[in-house]
Parts: sequence; C-alpha cells; structure tokens
Amino acid sequence: MAVAWIGNREAPVEHAAEHAAALLASSRCPVISFDTDIHGTRAAIALAERVGAAYDHLDGKALALEAALFTDKGGMFVAPGEVRRRADVIVVVGELPEVHHGLVAELAETAPDFSSASGRAFFLIGNAETPTLPLGDTRKAILLLCGADLGATLAALRAQCAGRQVAARVENFDRFVGALAAARFPVFLFSSHTAGGLALEMLQGLIADLNNEGRASALHLPVSESGWGAVLASTWMTGFPPRASFARGFPEFDPWRFDVARMLAGREADCHLWISARESLPLPESNGVPLIVLAKTSKPVTGAEVTIAIGEARVDHDAVVYSARTGSLRSVAARSASQQPSAATVLRLIAGHVAAEAPSPC
Amino acid sequence: MLTKIAGGDIIDPANGRIGKGDLWISDEAIAEAPAGGEADRTFDASGCIVMAGAIDIHSHIGGGNVNTARLLLPEQHAAHMPRPAATPLSNAGWSTFETGCLYARMGFTTVVEPAMSPYAALHTHLELADIPIIDKATLAILGNDDFLLSMMRDNASPAMIEDYVAWTVASTRALGVKVINAGAAAAFKENVRTFALDDVVPSYGVSSRNIVKILQAAVDRLGIPHPLHVHCNNLGAAGSADTAAATIAAADGLPLHLAHLQFYGYGTEGRRKFSSAAARLAELVNATPEVTIDIGQVMFGRTVTVSSDVMRQFSARGTANPKKFVIHDGDGNGGGIVPYRYRPDYYGTTQWAVGLELFLLIDDPWRVFFTTDHPNGAPFTVYPQLFKLLMSRDSRNEMAAGLSKSALGLSTLASIDREYTFEEIAIMTRAAPAKLLGLADRGHLGAGAVADVAVYRQDKDITKMLGRAALVFKNGDLVVKDGEITHYRWGSALRLDPPPEGAMVRRLEDFHQQRYGLSLDWFTFPDTAITREKPFGEVPCRSR
Repeated sequence: MAVAWIGNREAPVEHAAEHAAALLASSRCPVISFDTDIHGTRAAIALAERVGAAYDHLDGKALALEAALFTDKGGMFVAPGEVRRRADVIVVVGELPEVHHGLVAELAETAPDFSSASGRAFFLIGNAETPTLPLGDTRKAILLLCGADLGATLAALRAQCAGRQVAARVENFDRFVGALAAARFPVFLFSSHTAGGLALEMLQGLIADLNNEGRASALHLPVSESGWGAVLASTWMTGFPPRASFARGFPEFDPWRFDVARMLAGREADCHLWISARESLPLPESNGVPLIVLAKTSKPVTGAEVTIAIGEARVDHDAVVYSARTGSLRSVAARSASQQPSAATVLRLIAGHVAAEAPSPC
Repeated sequence: MLTKIAGGDIIDPANGRIGKGDLWISDEAIAEAPAGGEADRTFDASGCIVMAGAIDIHSHIGGGNVNTARLLLPEQHAAHMPRPAATPLSNAGWSTFETGCLYARMGFTTVVEPAMSPYAALHTHLELADIPIIDKATLAILGNDDFLLSMMRDNASPAMIEDYVAWTVASTRALGVKVINAGAAAAFKENVRTFALDDVVPSYGVSSRNIVKILQAAVDRLGIPHPLHVHCNNLGAAGSADTAAATIAAADGLPLHLAHLQFYGYGTEGRRKFSSAAARLAELVNATPEVTIDIGQVMFGRTVTVSSDVMRQFSARGTANPKKFVIHDGDGNGGGIVPYRYRPDYYGTTQWAVGLELFLLIDDPWRVFFTTDHPNGAPFTVYPQLFKLLMSRDSRNEMAAGLSKSALGLSTLASIDREYTFEEIAIMTRAAPAKLLGLADRGHLGAGAVADVAVYRQDKDITKMLGRAALVFKNGDLVVKDGEITHYRWGSALRLDPPPEGAMVRRLEDFHQQRYGLSLDWFTFPDTAITREKPFGEVPCRSR
C-alpha cells in the first residue's frame, strides 16, 4: 500500500519527506497546523523552530480563548477526580463539547462520597437554545437565565450573589442561592465551546467571590483534548501556548498574528504543513499555497504537493494524550497497532532533511 | 576515550582531595591516573578550580504547577535573543530547554524537582525529558491524598502504609517522598483556612503531625535514601519559627529534611510583629543532627511563587503582582501559582537576611543545602550572586547598606563574619547533596564516579567565576566551554524502584474503580511513554 505521494505520484516516504523539507526550508513564511498527540506536537514544534514557522492547533480559535483565560487572568480550578468525589452542586456554563457529555452523565449517576448528599443538584447557565444536559430520563438541570448572553447571565448571577441590584433578575436565582447555601463544594463546568472570554472571566469573578466565605471551583473541560495537550507541550517547550512563531529565530507568542487560519486566508503564509490523523476532519485545501499533508489516507490529498500517510494516535500506535477525565496526560496503548508511522516519526524524518547544526531535540 | 584535565586546583571534599593535580576521565567515569598512559585529549586547567558537577536538591523545574506558571505569565519570559545555532530551543524563555542550558552553564549536572503530584507523574517526566544535558530526579508528594489519610484513619498497619509509599515511589519513578503542609490541602477542600502541626484534618481525624511521623517512618523503613522531605505548616507567617521548631523537635531521632527553612524563619518581634528568628532556628538545627535543611534564599526582584501548598497560596493570592493567580484543587495537594515581587523593604529585607543567617549560622555544611526554592525565593539564575554573598562579608555589607535598617536591626546578619570557602561550597553543592539523596556515583571525583565535572577559571569576581564555567563535562562529554553550551545530550531521571506488593496494587485498583470510576492504568505509564533512549537511571534503596 502506498504511504506517500509527491503530487499525485507515489513516492517512498523518505523522498516525500525530503521534498517536504525542501518546500518548508525554501519558504519565507511557513505555517504548521496540527491536531495530534503529545509526541507529534513536540515534533511539530521542533520542526517549526528549525524552519522558522508559525504554528497553531486546528481548533486554535476556541483554544486561544481558553489559553487566554490563563495568560490574562488565571482563576480557580479543580481536578475532575475531585469533582466526582466532592461536588454536590454542578453548574454547567453554556454548552459543553460532546466529548464531555459522558462525564456529565457520570456525575448525574454518582453521588459525591466526600459529602453526605445523596446526589448532586444540576444547574445550567444558558438560554432557551442551550441543549439539555445528558442527565438521564428522571432528572433535569435548573436553567439559570438572564437574557440571551451567557456573559450577561453570569454577570447578573455574580451581582445578585453579592447582594447588588440588577436591572434584570436571573431566572431561578432563589433555587440557585438555596443550593449554594447547602453546598459544601459547588463546581462550575466550562469550556470555550459557547462561552466567550468575558464570560469565562466573569465566571472566575463569581468563583472568587464564593471563595471568600466558602469553597467553589471550576472544572476546565477543554474544547479539544488534543488541543489542550498541545497547549501544555508548547508551553513547556517554548514558554508559550500556541499560537506562536519562530519566524524571527526565537519563539514569539501572539494569538492574533500567528493565527494560522488568518495567515493563510490573508496570503501571509507561503507554505502550509497540515497534520492530523483524525478521519472525521475535512482535509485542507491548497488555495494556491504549497501544501504538505500528513493524514490517515490511502490516496494523495487533492492539491497537496506532498502527502504522507500517518497512523492515528491510540489506534495505530501507542500515544501520550491529554485526558479531560483525569485533567492530565495519559499513556494509551494502540487499539489496533499497524505499520502506519506516527506523526512524530514522519515529522522527525522531515526535520532530518532540513539543514541544521544539531539533531532535532524531539 | 581517555581525557585529562591537567593542572587544576581540585576540590573534592568527599575524597579528601584538595590541591593542584590532574583529573582523569575514562569514557563516562572518573578514572585513576593511568600508569604511563597517554590522554586522547587534554584540557589545561591551570588557574582553574575543578569540582564535581553540582547538585540542586530542590528546584521547581517541571510538572503541572510549573507549566501553569509559564502559561500564566507569558509576559515575563518573552524571549529576546537570537537562537544559538547548536542548541535548539535553548533561548525559549523559561522553557525546559533553557532550564537545562542555564543550569549546565553554571556547572550543575543534577537537579531535583521536589514536588511531583503522583497523578501528574507522566506529565512531569515528559517535561524533565525535554530538559537537556543534566540528570533530573523527582520527589513524589504524599500526605494530602485520600488513600493515605483513609488508611491512617482506619489504623492501617505500618507495613500496609509502607506498601503504599513503595508503590507510589515506584509507579511515579520518584527518588523520594515529600509532604507539603501535611493535611492542609485536604482540610482546605473542607473550607479550613489555617492549619498547624497539631490541627486535625476534618473527616479523617488525623493530625498534621501524625501524617509527617507516619511518612517519616515509612520512608526510613523502606530504605529510601533521602529522608522525608517536609514542607512545614504555616509557611511565610509571622511566628512560623515556632512551627519549624516544633517540626524539628518531631524528628525525634529519625532523619528528616526540612525544605526552604528561610520561609519559616520569622518571629514576631518589632513594631511590625515580623522579625528574623534565624538564629534560634540555626541553633536548633545545629543541636539536632538527624535534621537537614535547605534554605530557599530570597533575592530581590520579580518572580513567581509555585507551590503545592494550596492553602498557603490561596491566602497569598491578594499579593499577586501582576494581579493574576491560579489556585488548583487537585487530587491530593493541587497547588497555587502567585506571581510576586520581592522588594528591598522591611519584609523583603527580613526574608533576605533570614536566609543568609541560616546559611552562615548553621555550622555543618553537610546539613545545609543551597537553594532558592526556585522560583519561589528567586530564580536559580541568581546562584552566582548568592555564592558571592556567602563567600564575601564585604559583599553582604555592601548590599545590606541599601536595605531596610529596621529589619536588619532585628537580625544577627551584620555581626556574622563567616565566609564560605570553596571547600564548603563543594560540600554544600556536591558532596552533601549526593549523600543526602543516596547518589553514590556523583558529587565527588573519586575513581568510578560519573564524570560530571565543573571547571571554573579563578576570578576575584565570584559571580563571574561561578556563573560561567570554563568547562563542564556530563558523563565525560564536554557540554560547556567558556560558559557556552557546545551541544545537547539527554540525561536521565534518577529513580528508586522499590518492588510494589501485589495486594496493594489490587487494593489500589479497587480504590480507583470505586472512587474515580477509572482503572488504575489511567494513572500509570510504561517507560516507553518517554521517548528518550535512556529516560530513567536506577538508584538503589538502602538494604533493610
């Protein structure tokens, strides 16, 4: 089975990697976008340094919002295991990505063993369009609502909790305050899936207020698990989360300048390396910019100058990934090990063909 | 390959070798001088001091909390240098790559990350594996985890607790055990805001003192070379010297290491009820031979405090500068990240003086260890300036002249004439840490030792001399020349491997299934998850 192509012609992987390296090395503004495991991310960032590229995760827009909560504000957070064991009130902030619905259902089915409560009360901050939570047939979350905007509802909720006057009251506020008064450890579940930056900041303000007298915290359920893994790896490798660039020979962090999608749309980039083995993702289009694709594919990608087939982390090869279920990195064995190379292996191969004084560090 | 470092002033207190001579390296190890043998390469070390590579026993260089601190403060580590050609990512501000390079340039070849959350062990080791050149090690945190506290509440046998400690050390690939404000993180989750040595953790009925004593005994009985590493209660509080004194007394004949004692060296004298109590603590340490301490020296400037003492960090959140922080309620300890600026005001001066007093008033350099609790007291990059303060009374006086006179008036610092010698520096940063950690293969220049060697060109300016080593060899490989990194090599994380007991593994499997709804393998990992050629180095336990 062919595993690499230069244009539409089959080619040995080594030749395809060499061609990809030549394209990257000869470009003036290369960009890399990826959605891969930790070792793939490390190898992509090491390659970005070598060729002076900007890099971003494929879910970069939503991840940039979540990273900004940390880079700009900080806050109070809790580990998922502690939520399961301790949270007696769960407040879901907006709509959560589907990947986290299993955790919500699990929280609905279990009771906190550190609490005398026999179950958990569920609230949902949202609007009429916000989907109901997967709590089973017999339970329903109490909707906290104040207008259509999530940030406005959180602001009103915070103001009312602090005893301040508000122009419009939050629906079901009294039930919320009653639950808080009885709670020992309320937890707010959030992601940037539907919550914007100001909403997340307001949420942290509310949690800070609640901690003046009692305890409360927030569980971060990232919009993309591989994306949050990339945030962690990028931060330890360069000091910065994505969106970063090595265009000037050293890492720079700028969530607007190094938004790879924007750079491609604005024709700033002159070479694009796209990396993902997720078959559910649409493959990229060239749009006139030389394109190198690392994907789980059995045929060349239309418009790509180089296509190299890679295996999927956790399926074709062992992997280290971020797990929102544990809130940390996890080692996962391959479900169905194959000969397909990992993204990290192919990226190291490409890096090996870019002239440098030292071997790639990842 | 046979390497000769010729004509240097060799300072090797562990082997009693002090004076001019040659040092031979055969491949990766220190060797005896070969009879009539010719070196494959010779380095002229005349005018230089030759010591073993330095060992830092307490520096927060990697793991979840450290990385969160990086994420919180992108503005404080924006890189500004062009990339050195041969050292990938080494100018990435406050990154793993920069960490290895900066340590190696100062002649440090082994560094211990002292606060690894067991559930974040894989993350921690992945970061450490991206720190080039130096060897690393970790201490696993216990003492706020539900499994241990529940066993204590249920009067589990010492053997069962030892099995759990052994499993934790083995599965997290740690070199020892640390307890951080024992019981306080668990209490904080129950909305307790202060916690002292004899306070009791709600729901468990065990005191902080019980936890420390149980862990101290387990570590000792398991033959873990490094004594229990204790971060005491009440860090940073006025009057915390009483807590430290009580913890020293609690050692009770068994080895105990107290971390960053400076942060507990505070009395309640003076108008501000905050004063140096360093002389009192130094006297207690001098009189308690089973206790070792490291300092956690404060130096002035901007830094970030990174600690798994989540209760303390929560209470310090109002001092954040800039005004942002992260507080994390984790499984077990969690942690807090609070950026901070040490100013040369009354409080900053007191802290600065307390650290120096402890360094200078504790008599035995084998029991006091050189740390700034990086980055809590100051970044490790200030080490050369700190060496200068320890080795020169005039330098101390010169710096003190610009600081708070009222703070110094309540300190003994001005009356201390002691100046550290190079031999004492070599003990404190090489021989003693190796002994404390059970690393028989390093910290000295005897035949058979790992060839970790630092060569410093003699200079009246200690900061310059010890800040940029003339030569550094890691495992016999020249990695620093004239203060510059020549190339990367990849060190290992040093670990103990006490055999886990089968019944404990099954018990932990049940616990994780029942309490977290997950099997134990969500929290463990194979060595192959770290993609380095030799990710771990083995260190034996003491025979029991």
